[in-house]
Amino acid sequence: MSTEQGFLSRTFGDSDDLALTLLDNMIWPILAVVILGVLVFVPQTFRSIQLILWGAVPIGLLVLAESLCLLSGHFDLSIGSIAGFSAMFTGMLLGTCPSCWGVTTSPWVGFGVILLTGSLIGLVNGVMIAKVGLNPFLQTLAFLIVFEGAKTAMQTQPVTGLPSLYVRVGGTPNLAIGVMLVAFLVFGLVLRYTSFGQAVYALGSSEVSAREVGIDTERLVIVIYTISGLLAAIAGLMLTGFVGVVPPLIGEGLVFQAFAGAVIGGISLFGGRGKITGALGGVILIQLVQSALNNSPAIGATQIQMINGLVLLGAILLYNTQTKLRSRILASGAT
Amino acid sequence: MSVEDDPATTERETAEEEAAGDAGAAASATPKLRAENVTKQFGRIVAVDDVTLDVRPGEIFALVGDNGAGKSTLMNVLSGVHAPTEGQLYKDGEPVQFSNPSDARAKGIETVYQDLALMDDLDIATNIFMGSFPKRGVGPLRVIDWNATYERSRAIMREQLGREMDIQTEVEFLSGGQRQLVAIGRALAFDPDVIILDEPTSALSVDATRLVQNTLDRLAEEGITIVIVSHNIESVLEHADRIGVLYQGSLVDIMAPSETDLEELNELMTTGTLETGLLDD
Repeated sequence: MSTEQGFLSRTFGDSDDLALTLLDNMIWPILAVVILGVLVFVPQTFRSIQLILWGAVPIGLLVLAESLCLLSGHFDLSIGSIAGFSAMFTGMLLGTCPSCWGVTTSPWVGFGVILLTGSLIGLVNGVMIAKVGLNPFLQTLAFLIVFEGAKTAMQTQPVTGLPSLYVRVGGTPNLAIGVMLVAFLVFGLVLRYTSFGQAVYALGSSEVSAREVGIDTERLVIVIYTISGLLAAIAGLMLTGFVGVVPPLIGEGLVFQAFAGAVIGGISLFGGRGKITGALGGVILIQLVQSALNNSPAIGATQIQMINGLVLLGAILLYNTQTKLRSRILASGAT
Repeated sequence: MSVEDDPATTERETAEEEAAGDAGAAASATPKLRAENVTKQFGRIVAVDDVTLDVRPGEIFALVGDNGAGKSTLMNVLSGVHAPTEGQLYKDGEPVQFSNPSDARAKGIETVYQDLALMDDLDIATNIFMGSFPKRGVGPLRVIDWNATYERSRAIMREQLGREMDIQTEVEFLSGGQRQLVAIGRALAFDPDVIILDEPTSALSVDATRLVQNTLDRLAEEGITIVIVSHNIESVLEHADRIGVLYQGSLVDIMAPSETDLEELNELMTTGTLETGLLDD
């Protein structure tokens, strides 16, 4: 019997093993550096950690949705639009503003409608990609445009007069933060301890192989996009609560922050690799940068979007470097 | 053409069984797997034409043939990927119908595809048990038991494949031979009595090929029936108990390695017959 115990460390040496571990968990040293930088240059950012976390809730849920898609080797450009459209559509049903539809004042109906709306849009995304065979980029880009347009077509003014319970879920800091943390905990456990979770990783690592080992990949893709839509709808609910109304620009531009958060958090752009804990680190980092920009006297409100773009670019460069380093380490260990 | 009924083939098999000593006993046993008059058509193209063959318990049976001979199609019929257009499959003497690989799996037949169907980003244990994770818990609240997954993966690698490996190593770190063993390990996780392998030694180094061959010999010794689809004739001659030659969808001969040689096999694969006329219809 041959022995290959400690294969990894013997093959690559301890330093390379350590380097690979660092690469897979790079979010934490980066987050530490960013925290240090914010402490030094914009210390007022930390006046309310609760506020930072509360503000992180919608983007956190979107990062979670994007992470799920990315882990499966797909992606979803429409999550911000789904969040915005679901919130606006439900707001129009519930709101008492002059141009609102005012169909019902029941917050429970509102919860059901917003979650169902997001899930249904996600379901259609999944069916178009898995069954019709559309490219995920083009399908979700189309829905980004469609639902952002539909939202604007419905309303161009803030929707007010929403039921207090409906607003309170996202408007109560500790409750909202709790929802986000529970969502991360649940998805972390589901991905690790269920066949569904492992199938997501398998699909992301190799769709052909996943199919060959008996995974119903079409159904899995549909479920993933449906969950993504559901999470985006919850993000829309949280955004509504955070602001107290449904603003006309709700959800716009958030998909790019969600991408940045997921990628910085170590979720592979090509699927099959990444941890939900890393994605949570990415959420905190993105929100910390956002809060620091808002609190910095040197940065004007008109410059923030540009800096958000630079953060996204930084995340992609970081991912690119990580991928190259990983390939180099693997190549050096090849026998 | 049905080789099992072909007089020339029967003559060869009789000689083989006499020479092999105990092979006669094996031949008299109920076939582990039997394809009877199996035809598979794709539209007007006949990929497999009226093939009848028996695979005996615990043997290594190799299917060889040139490109387009129908060996992969026949393998896919045996493994449930394709349903036969005509004909009948038998497992342990019982007629069976497979509409997908899961049906074949339920009957104890596992397939190792040429691409190995491995997930590079996942570790050995996860690859082995993907689709069949050991679970713990109650009712619908059953979750993956990772301790059992690792223990059983380790046991499969150590006890059935004879390799002591760090089963938490990601598959992307493994050599070609090791990857092949992981793919076989996954087949073993379903506790099969038949394993079908598509080109198990293609693109492997000499050492890796030997590793895989020895593993298959070991599994056959344990009583697992092995069906190999292969281009590697030298390897087949060295390790198979019997060789079936496919030519343009038809099974033209079944023989023991001791009854043939590289040259003859190549001739059969490329022309479907021998210049001696021994096998001519």
